[in-house]
Amino acid sequence: MTVDHQAGLTIVTLFPRLLDTNGDAANARVLAQRARWAGLPARIVLVHTIADLPDAVDLVVIGSGTDTDLAAARDALGTLAEPLRAWLAGGVPVLAVGTGWELLSAGLGLADGSSVDGLGLVPGRASVLPARVADDLVVDADGLRLLGFENHLRGYSGATATLGAVAYGTGNGDGTEGAVDGSFIGTHLHGPVLARNPQLADRMLGLASAARGLTLAPSAQTESVDGMAKAARNQVAVRLSLTS
Amino acid sequence: MRYAPAILLGRVARTLARWRKPGGGSAVPGLVVNTIAPGFLPRTLNGFPGGLVIVTGSAGKSTTTKMLVAALRAHGLSVFTNQSTANISQGLTSALLERVSLTGRIEGDIAVLEMDEGHGALISASLDPRVVVLTNVMVDQIDRFHDSDMVAAMLAKIAQRATGSVVLNADDLYLARLGDGIAPGVSVARYGVADEVLAANPRGLGYTLTSPTRLDAADGMVLTGVSGLDATVLVDGRVHELRLPARGTHYAVDALTALAAARAALLDRFDADVAVAAISTIPPVFGRGEVVSVRGTTVEFVLVQNPASLQLNVDSLDPDTEQILVAVGSDVRDPSYLWPADTSGLGHVLIASGSKSYDIGLQLAYDGVLVDRIEPDLGRALDDFLALPEPARGVKTIIFSADSMRRTRAHLGLETNEADPS
Repeated sequence: MTVDHQAGLTIVTLFPRLLDTNGDAANARVLAQRARWAGLPARIVLVHTIADLPDAVDLVVIGSGTDTDLAAARDALGTLAEPLRAWLAGGVPVLAVGTGWELLSAGLGLADGSSVDGLGLVPGRASVLPARVADDLVVDADGLRLLGFENHLRGYSGATATLGAVAYGTGNGDGTEGAVDGSFIGTHLHGPVLARNPQLADRMLGLASAARGLTLAPSAQTESVDGMAKAARNQVAVRLSLTS
Repeated sequence: MRYAPAILLGRVARTLARWRKPGGGSAVPGLVVNTIAPGFLPRTLNGFPGGLVIVTGSAGKSTTTKMLVAALRAHGLSVFTNQSTANISQGLTSALLERVSLTGRIEGDIAVLEMDEGHGALISASLDPRVVVLTNVMVDQIDRFHDSDMVAAMLAKIAQRATGSVVLNADDLYLARLGDGIAPGVSVARYGVADEVLAANPRGLGYTLTSPTRLDAADGMVLTGVSGLDATVLVDGRVHELRLPARGTHYAVDALTALAAARAALLDRFDADVAVAAISTIPPVFGRGEVVSVRGTTVEFVLVQNPASLQLNVDSLDPDTEQILVAVGSDVRDPSYLWPADTSGLGHVLIASGSKSYDIGLQLAYDGVLVDRIEPDLGRALDDFLALPEPARGVKTIIFSADSMRRTRAHLGLETNEADPS
């Protein structure tokens, strides 16, 4: 399938064979569907090697991987260091989850005390937490309440700005969660974070479409799916005695 | 007679445990015996005249074991086998205690044991299996403590104990590589699917790594075709037709595995016709493609246990299926779990249900599946779904997680089989 770049949005997901542990790559699916429901054509390009990279990119998704594949994932991402730098400088929205985020930082610690160098593309680094975290994670982010699941060994420090304050869970390990740097978002909220938090998806889509002079139209389909997300969020909020 | 005191004590423990909790306490006698006589389990298992067969791997162990046992019994062998339990050492010892004489002998020509790869790796060091059967390496993505390398290493450890042969899936690259390292003197029996079978499953068969090339029919048994409940296998140049217990390429691969294992266990006594006939008559496995008659209608149950099995089941569903209910329950703690699967092939789902109904509804919607209704109350969803007019095409199909399966069976008053994990 080819879509004229002028006509729609191009969403890339980087190295989904290495970085899709929890279905994080599915966030590209969420962005594409929401764009389509809002009247914009959208295509997803799976980038397995630099040769797969399309000429113009509107949105970038990077999922999380296993620690076994850390070096392979870092080397793979390293081949895209130049385009990544250009996207970050050019205001292209980038969502990076878990190790996909950590590998863009200065570096990350391992459970055995050693460390792996990151690509140094975003400020900060990931350090080992006292214990692995696997639980719900709720974040208050600029008036948005983000809900999701976290399962990670490392926290994060040194971000330019964080995504928000932790209302439930561990996040970065210091009461904050995630990293924001211009159009970049890094988070421990794994899996389909954009499906469960459609406002975050729309924030990214809004930026990308504005940059292209495109507009997103409300639709019945979006409204119906967001109703489902709200109900799913309510269940978690009630269970955790929070508001959604 | 060296184990007589331990066996007697174990039996006393069993009586006490049952007296305290009727029907329960099955691990306690095993714990007692394993503590005072740690040699009992390996010595008994290694003592069968026809040897010990171990079936292990990530998925398909239960079905393969059942099929293999049926094939061996059809050849006139008396077989000792186990029900899979969480703690295999204690569960096995308890099961052996039921059957063992005070001299430490068990009636039976051969033992066939299904082993979880983790527990299997722990206890295999003391076992001398004649045949080790390896199914595949899949990783439940939710379980971050288990990566594929670790699973493959555990399987290699078990395979190294084989004294006669290692039976392995040539389409699983981890296992194919493992086969190259088996000690001389131990034979490697390979099985695999033909190009057409793999091509009919565009997303593969769920293995972590799939071998780049298919097995040549000269090098082992080959699955040449799957259509609904029918499959064809090529054994020594002859085509055999198999009947599967449930729809799906993975069941056909289980049957192929059992056939290859039966030949490794029976050697010259192996008769492919007898084995194929026996495998074709095993009853459907609960909840996995099982077809039941309930409330005057016919329903197919499809159990999904991980993203790989969801994908395989979505892909192998009859495309004409008109009425589908999907139920996901509290066993899926993190809704991210199933997202690696692409559910778009379902096309149209009438009801999404279970305690995670909204989450699975979200996934279906983003995969472009039309979802008519979300009904968190599974009982109500089932009542309404079964009351719908008969579908014009296909049968009513319920796809559920393990928790929703239990609730569905209870709601419909159907028999349950708790001791049947994958």
